[in-house]
Amino acid sequence: MAKQNLLEKVMNEPQPLPRKVPDYMRKKGGIWYWTGAILMITFLYESLTGLILLFYYQPAHPYSSTGTILAMPYGTVLLTTHLYAAYIMIAFLYIHLLRNLFVGAYKKPRQMQWLTGILLLLVTIGVVYFGYSMSGDVLSADATDVGRGIAAGAPLIGSYLRSIFFGSGTSLSLFMRLEGWHIVLAGVILAMFALHFYLAEYNTIMPSPKHAEFKVPAVDNDDPSYKPWYPYNLLYMGQVSFFTLAMIFIIPSVLAILPNVPVLFSPFPQVSVSSPLASSVPAYPPWILLFIYKELDFGISSIIGPFWASLIFIGLPVGYLLFIPYLDRNDSLKLSRRKAVLYTGILGLFYYIGLSVWGAMEPGVPVSNLVGFLFFAVPMLVVIPVSLYMIKKVEAAKSNLGNNLWKLYSILPVIGFLAILVGITSYMFLDGLSYYDLAALIFVLVLLAISSLYAYGWIYGIKENTKNIKMSERGHLVFGGIYGFLAIVIFTMISDIPPTKVEYQALYGIGIGLLFVLGGAFTKLYRSYAYHEG
Amino acid sequence: MRLKSTERAPDEQKRNFLKIMGTLIIGVGMVGTLRSVVQYIIPPSTQAETSFPVLTLVLANGNPIHTSDLIVNNSATVTFDYPLQGEPNFLLRLGDSGNTDVKIPPSKVSIPSTGGSYQSPGGVGPYGSVVAASAICEHLGCVPPEIKFFPPSSSTTPGKIHCSCHGSTYDPYSGFSVVTGPTRIPLPSLVLSYDSTQDTYAATMMVGPTLYGHTSDLSGGNAITTKGTVVSTT
Ligand code: FES
Repeated sequence: MAKQNLLEKVMNEPQPLPRKVPDYMRKKGGIWYWTGAILMITFLYESLTGLILLFYYQPAHPYSSTGTILAMPYGTVLLTTHLYAAYIMIAFLYIHLLRNLFVGAYKKPRQMQWLTGILLLLVTIGVVYFGYSMSGDVLSADATDVGRGIAAGAPLIGSYLRSIFFGSGTSLSLFMRLEGWHIVLAGVILAMFALHFYLAEYNTIMPSPKHAEFKVPAVDNDDPSYKPWYPYNLLYMGQVSFFTLAMIFIIPSVLAILPNVPVLFSPFPQVSVSSPLASSVPAYPPWILLFIYKELDFGISSIIGPFWASLIFIGLPVGYLLFIPYLDRNDSLKLSRRKAVLYTGILGLFYYIGLSVWGAMEPGVPVSNLVGFLFFAVPMLVVIPVSLYMIKKVEAAKSNLGNNLWKLYSILPVIGFLAILVGITSYMFLDGLSYYDLAALIFVLVLLAISSLYAYGWIYGIKENTKNIKMSERGHLVFGGIYGFLAIVIFTMISDIPPTKVEYQALYGIGIGLLFVLGGAFTKLYRSYAYHEG
Repeated sequence: MRLKSTERAPDEQKRNFLKIMGTLIIGVGMVGTLRSVVQYIIPPSTQAETSFPVLTLVLANGNPIHTSDLIVNNSATVTFDYPLQGEPNFLLRLGDSGNTDVKIPPSKVSIPSTGGSYQSPGGVGPYGSVVAASAICEHLGCVPPEIKFFPPSSSTTPGKIHCSCHGSTYDPYSGFSVVTGPTRIPLPSLVLSYDSTQDTYAATMMVGPTLYGHTSDLSGGNAITTKGTVVSTT
């Protein structure tokens, strides 16, 4: 048979949409197959809240109209969750990317899917950048100044690039463009996402490399034994969506009540450019772009200029990622046959985190060429043995990491954080003794209870996984009832809290987040009860 | 011995109980979320004024208008803004077919859409013939020149205010009440006060239905910041 190109195949062999998926995708650990679904949910949340925010945003008065949004009932919940859903989306984009890089999902037949994915990453970062700059606070001014400088540095078309993205120089034209690009690029995401998703359905879900016997093409041959989409996958998707939404609501709302949140993670806009306090705010970009800011501090960057420096620092990794499917062409999915990919992946991650942390600690402090050289050279040498060791471990299927102490350690910070939260709220409670502080205390306790239960199950469950403990039928009913009861309690409380103060709105946000947690937990319970899944 | 959960058929009643719990949780979650969205998108009603301002009617040059500046049965449209910027009102000096002033008594005006009624203020000035009312058609909001006053001498709708958008007619001689539809709401009357020693006029408040397109007469616009409100003729 003559070799067909992708377009011919897609057009001539229509595929069923949506496909049935293998049942192991809904088992424990199957969440790794759904990182893309989480991204889709965050994107939908962003689109909806973004459109609602448009009702009050005025490019002519960016800072004061952002203030208007915050002053509206539930405006702070809307704006802070819009920001944090974007952060969560970026975080999951990286997770999705790394996961697919390490399992070799870019290989045949998914090269196109991989390419659209990398482009989606770029466009998403663009949308975040423009959105972040829309508030008109000092951070937005810093971000647009840096952006202007980078765009203007392009040879020949520099001044065009600058005016296309940042307007003719007046504040109004700047913010109209920021708003325009923010929305236009979001539309681009939608279109590219549709293609990405269609290709994912067309190429089928990638089975784990083990299932595919470490050979490309790793495709899933629709097994007739797979359960249908409805209700099995629908419920699972519901569960994933609820937990994602819970995260979107709870994280920024908790940050909104905490005192002294570092600028970088503050869910609120900072002071305006004209404020006398403006100079006390460090010139931070959104954290996802910190590495670009730091990169501009390197000695070499001042020689070649910001445009070329950024092109190198963004262009090299992006170019590499774009070409991976064509560089790593062998048909093995074994990590030992893809050492270079693993190696560069870990190295890239290290550079990214390193530059970001560095940028957060020392924003704008120049870096000499020697230090810059060492920053890049040393990890190169360190990462080689580490990645070789990891490959050995993984290939030897020694996923059992002995005792689970590391898990305990990794949740300690979370527990500590929650404990501090309890402390603060109970102090507030004793101090003011108002109804709302009581509500805050109860919310925090529920949050603490849920997370410690979860942590317990995580550690304990891994240890005991051979015993395979199942909940009794009565247990399901009792928990279902408790969830329903808690939902009513939380609903009553949030209905009673007026959206008059930032703290009250944050409580509302936490309450809604908890309702989504309950929704997710209930869906999980119901799947286990009615379908014996999960 | 207990059966393993996979070997047991789920009981319909228990399953329904769980279904109701699930609907409840998701239901309250959705109601809780939507409620904030709804509350958020209701625009704040910014009261531009806390009470009706008292504004002297002035000419473009800032001098107050006098009775002699007003022409009886003027076929040109004379308007001024009140209570907020950009909200036109008719200023009419009404007369009979011989163009002599007619005294306009206060009258009871009924509102067909609600079945209620209110008292119109009646004419002021030396002859009791000067009246004013909103020039924003209560049907769908057309403003002059679409809506205008036709003097008693005109061939069509003599002595009436007619809106050419959809054909509503109002009677300025009896409190701007509805003559023909489609409107079912009379034009809100403006209460004028007349200072007989100075021979000047001032707008003091609106009575009757709420101005077209507003949730209240004093919100949804910007206050008039000049000393008087300027009367213009087109
Ligand atoms: S708007 Fe005047 S008749 Fe319809």
